[in-house]
Amino acid sequence: MTKILIKSTILLTLIFSPYAANANTIDNLERERAKALNLILDKSISIGDRKSKLEKSKMRLLDLERMTINSKNINKNPSYQTIKAFEKFDLTFLVHSSLEKGKSLSLTWLEKIGLTTENLMSTRVSRK
Amino acid sequence: MKNSNIKLFLIILSVSFYSANSLAQNNVNGWKPQIVEKMYVLPPKHLNKVLNNDFNKSLLAINLQNTDNKIKNRIEKISELNSLLPGSSKEEGLEIQHQIIINKRDYIKDMNDLLIMKKEKLNTKKIFFKKIEKKFKGNSLKNKTTSNFLNNKSSAIKRSQKLDFKILENTSYNLSKRSKYFKQYQINKDAVKKLKLAIEKHPMSNENILYKDPLNKVEAINNYVHEIDTEIAVLEMKEQMINYMAKIVALDAMSLAEKVAFDDENNNKVVPTNFNDPVNVISVFTN
Repeated sequence: MTKILIKSTILLTLIFSPYAANANTIDNLERERAKALNLILDKSISIGDRKSKLEKSKMRLLDLERMTINSKNINKNPSYQTIKAFEKFDLTFLVHSSLEKGKSLSLTWLEKIGLTTENLMSTRVSRK
Repeated sequence: MKNSNIKLFLIILSVSFYSANSLAQNNVNGWKPQIVEKMYVLPPKHLNKVLNNDFNKSLLAINLQNTDNKIKNRIEKISELNSLLPGSSKEEGLEIQHQIIINKRDYIKDMNDLLIMKKEKLNTKKIFFKKIEKKFKGNSLKNKTTSNFLNNKSSAIKRSQKLDFKILENTSYNLSKRSKYFKQYQINKDAVKKLKLAIEKHPMSNENILYKDPLNKVEAINNYVHEIDTEIAVLEMKEQMINYMAKIVALDAMSLAEKVAFDDENNNKVVPTNFNDPVNVISVFTN
């Protein structure tokens, strides 16, 4: 039984190792984007902290966005995730989008997901 | 004279071996184009030039040149021997004819090698162009399926390029915060921009419509393949010619062999002595 387990583990490692090693730029971008959004939504940190941390994150995000946009590797057999990422430019490439619009990173993202001031003002509190 | 008979027999035998079947079975050193994949983007005209240069460096090209020189020497020798024939004696004449046949046989052998090498060169070229054509067709098919993605990506690149200057000007991206990639990106982008401008200004860039239009490129490659096919067909006709030449040489050799044998019979005609007749053996007893 243990032999079978060892063999299957080796086999699985061999099968999945290329995928593990081949973490592409879009994955890294997604990870960094998630971190930035986490910072935006984090209520436990001060405004100053958030600002300085977001600045650093923005720099990394900008680099990763540029790497992804200019990467030629993703042209060959693009994954579903990659195709969708380029379809929704404003949501994927947040730094670029915010610079285009001349708005902050958080505002660009919130607006893009539909959380605008107008939308929020038009809602009303009610009990069901 | 017996030796010359054997020699002629061997000539006939070796010449007859250069029949249609044996023509295609010669082994010659090959040529494998050593062209990097990056060269595939070149326009077909330039690609053909690069391919020819690559061939000139190959072992096949050297062998082709050597065989060509050998053929020239053989023809010179045959002409020289032919010129000696009218003033020669009967014995010399036979020897000269013998030498002519040997040289003709060697000429056919070398010419056969040359044709095979030429055919190999053309076939290699054809395979190379076919490979490129296949690649282009494959790429265009692939492009159709991923065209939406590529459109999105190219628009993303354009949007990003428009923002490059804005990012550089933006005060929030001050020098101390700039990453190594950020700095390198700017340097490389500037360099690429300069190179693109140089390409646009290059006189050949405007002349080369083939470079810009992949459909034209495929058509041009098809034309090259057609040309190669024509050359191969011509070579095959030449091979047939060589076959007929070989037959003529074989017939010449046979006729010479018969001539030599006939002369031998005439020269060595010995009247058989009948020792059973006592008149014929008188000298044995008297001397």
